[in-house]
Amino acid sequence: MALTFAVTPRTQVSALKSPRKRALRRNLTGWAFAGPATLIVIGLSIFPAVWAFFISRAKWNGIAPATQVGWRNYRLLVQDPDMIAATKHTLLLTALFVPGSIILGIVIAIALNQKIRLIGFYRTCIFVPYVASAAATGILAGFVFNPQFGVANDLLRHLGIPQQQFLESQHQAIYIICLIALWGEVGFTTVIYLAALQDIPRDLVEAARMDGASPWRVFRHVTLPELRPVTVFAAIWQTITAMQLFDLIYTTTRGGPLNSTQTIVYYIYELAFQTQRLGYGAAAAYLLFIVTLLLSLLVIWYSRRRGSEVF
Amino acid sequence: MTDLRRGRSFRLLAGGLGAALTLSACMGGTTDSGKDAAAGYDPKAAVTITWWTGQPEEQEKVAEQLAAEYHTAHPNVTIKVSPGAPTTDDLLTKLSAGFTSDSYPDVSYAYGNWAGDLGASGKAQDLTSYVQDPSFGWDDFPAAAREVATSKGKVIGIPALVDNLALIYNKALFDKAGVAYPTDQWSWDDFRAAAKKLTDKSTNTYGTAYSVSGSEDTTWHLWPLLWQHGGKILDGDKPAFNSDAGVAALETLRQMAVDDKSMYLDQTDEKYAPLFNSGHVGMMLSGPWALLEIKEAKLAYGVADLPGFNGDHQTVSGPDLWVLFDHGDVNRAGATRDFMKWLTSASVDPKWNLAVGNLPLRTSEKSSPEYAAYVKEYPGGDKFFANLANAKQARPTLPGYEVLSRNVGDAVAAVLQGQAQPKEALDNAAKKSVDAITN
Repeated sequence: MALTFAVTPRTQVSALKSPRKRALRRNLTGWAFAGPATLIVIGLSIFPAVWAFFISRAKWNGIAPATQVGWRNYRLLVQDPDMIAATKHTLLLTALFVPGSIILGIVIAIALNQKIRLIGFYRTCIFVPYVASAAATGILAGFVFNPQFGVANDLLRHLGIPQQQFLESQHQAIYIICLIALWGEVGFTTVIYLAALQDIPRDLVEAARMDGASPWRVFRHVTLPELRPVTVFAAIWQTITAMQLFDLIYTTTRGGPLNSTQTIVYYIYELAFQTQRLGYGAAAAYLLFIVTLLLSLLVIWYSRRRGSEVF
Repeated sequence: MTDLRRGRSFRLLAGGLGAALTLSACMGGTTDSGKDAAAGYDPKAAVTITWWTGQPEEQEKVAEQLAAEYHTAHPNVTIKVSPGAPTTDDLLTKLSAGFTSDSYPDVSYAYGNWAGDLGASGKAQDLTSYVQDPSFGWDDFPAAAREVATSKGKVIGIPALVDNLALIYNKALFDKAGVAYPTDQWSWDDFRAAAKKLTDKSTNTYGTAYSVSGSEDTTWHLWPLLWQHGGKILDGDKPAFNSDAGVAALETLRQMAVDDKSMYLDQTDEKYAPLFNSGHVGMMLSGPWALLEIKEAKLAYGVADLPGFNGDHQTVSGPDLWVLFDHGDVNRAGATRDFMKWLTSASVDPKWNLAVGNLPLRTSEKSSPEYAAYVKEYPGGDKFFANLANAKQARPTLPGYEVLSRNVGDAVAAVLQGQAQPKEALDNAAKKSVDAITN
């Protein structure tokens, strides 16, 4: 990798030195540039990840000596009813969140792509929730959806609809969380779709119109295919976001009521930092990592086959 | 060129794996040498010790004053005081990180239910013989607190805080509903009947409240009922809370939550106390820590023993500990012991626990002027102090209690929300906990 760095040739100096020394010097210069970042990545990402793998093969609470248990944690995980429930919740959340954020993103991006007054203001409004931290979003949502004093129930009362428990009902909580997550994240998909829409060559659209295509057909056969690379990217990105959703759950329901909003990541947190089962938690984290990796590979493979390379 | 590159990445990989293997050795604790950590300690030696108080700001200030006071009296001992972690809950994570990186304190605050884990770390000092010295006054601490400080037969900490659960009630709500105030002789049937009468849907008023977050707060409120019915949490190292006694205990709560709907079910641990303070809950089972906020809410309240079963009114105590750690330095170990002995002594503890609104640690503090002031400021504080005698059993101090607690908490939460029956829920929780307790 160091060889890829080009050093300005300084003929006068380098002529005096042997090629070996020159190579060494070039190598060192390269590493001087790449070194700090490499150290940070290895020290803060790769190293803990490798260590976590060793922890995942032990029974360890972080305090008492660890016992090596081989693959036992992984075997237990596969049959753990809480893990299975958490997986279901995560899948449900992903299945709602990813298409939801993409469709909403496209619709809002098209709306914001019009030439109307105050368009900059509207664009900012849509993006602001994305900039706000999920923790703040969660606390805010807690107020809005409070069953006793919240605005949401106030609204329902005015509409004559029965009062709801929202985040305190085990049947509604996950949908409400999904709604809050959508509100927070849709700004992101909107912005990338807006950029993609403005990237579509105007002559393509105009040519279609000249051929007599209706606006819907233009959208269906010109705009949508042009958006495909961005959609693949958004799908992967939003899947990862949904699978790793934590802060919002932590600040709203903490996995409750009756663990109905406990996602895999929240379950890992609870295992590792609430009940101090670090080995078991690390094993769950590794399973999640492998699944996410496989999913991403699958989507990339599929999109390459379709001929749109995004990654 | 490719060969060179492959060779390099191979070396990198090998180096990384080697380092990881070394690190995995860090997962081990230290084995106990069996030697006393402070053998041959020189009280005159100059030492610096680190104290993690686990306290919020106000209390932390008091701790710093006390440390300064100790330093004035013993100039050779410098105490570095800090809360240790942003919240007391985070201390355990900080401690475990500290063990790995060898930067743990000399003494730290610890919740009683961490005692098993900390005892198993091999880093805690064995204080068994130290506290037996008559000058220490070990028997002056409540029995439940002494029990929690002992893990697997070894004393690994000194009680830092004692408390217990009692029945706190809102006098105005009782007057309004025309119900007689609770007494120390109440049975759970009396409690249930009163809760039903106090409940008023039109004003959003509930007879009582219970946390269904599934945390330790959910779990430990069940233990007194279990014990009153003659049940046990563990039998040896096997879960025993799913006995008939446990089922009967949980059924008592279920009737109020599901049949009568006289119990406010709190999905967090944080809402029921404020609801009590604002007059929406008639009775709550809580501890002396609740008194400060009730006082601030200017509520007319009373305190009674927990309702009982067959005349048994025992309660649960949640003592917290000062856990002392060994750094392989006899002088530090010895100085830390002496400092903690001073802090928890009958003459200094009133300046600490009573000053910050906690119960006194030692029975002998009852005659101190600070105790009189405390009772005057917090009516009912004396009731909690007397109720310590009803704390006859302690929660287990085995590693793995955390997991058991979480499983029981989930079971209680499911039953109280009408999603399961006591028997199946507790059986399920017991089955899930076997693994965590036994190995």
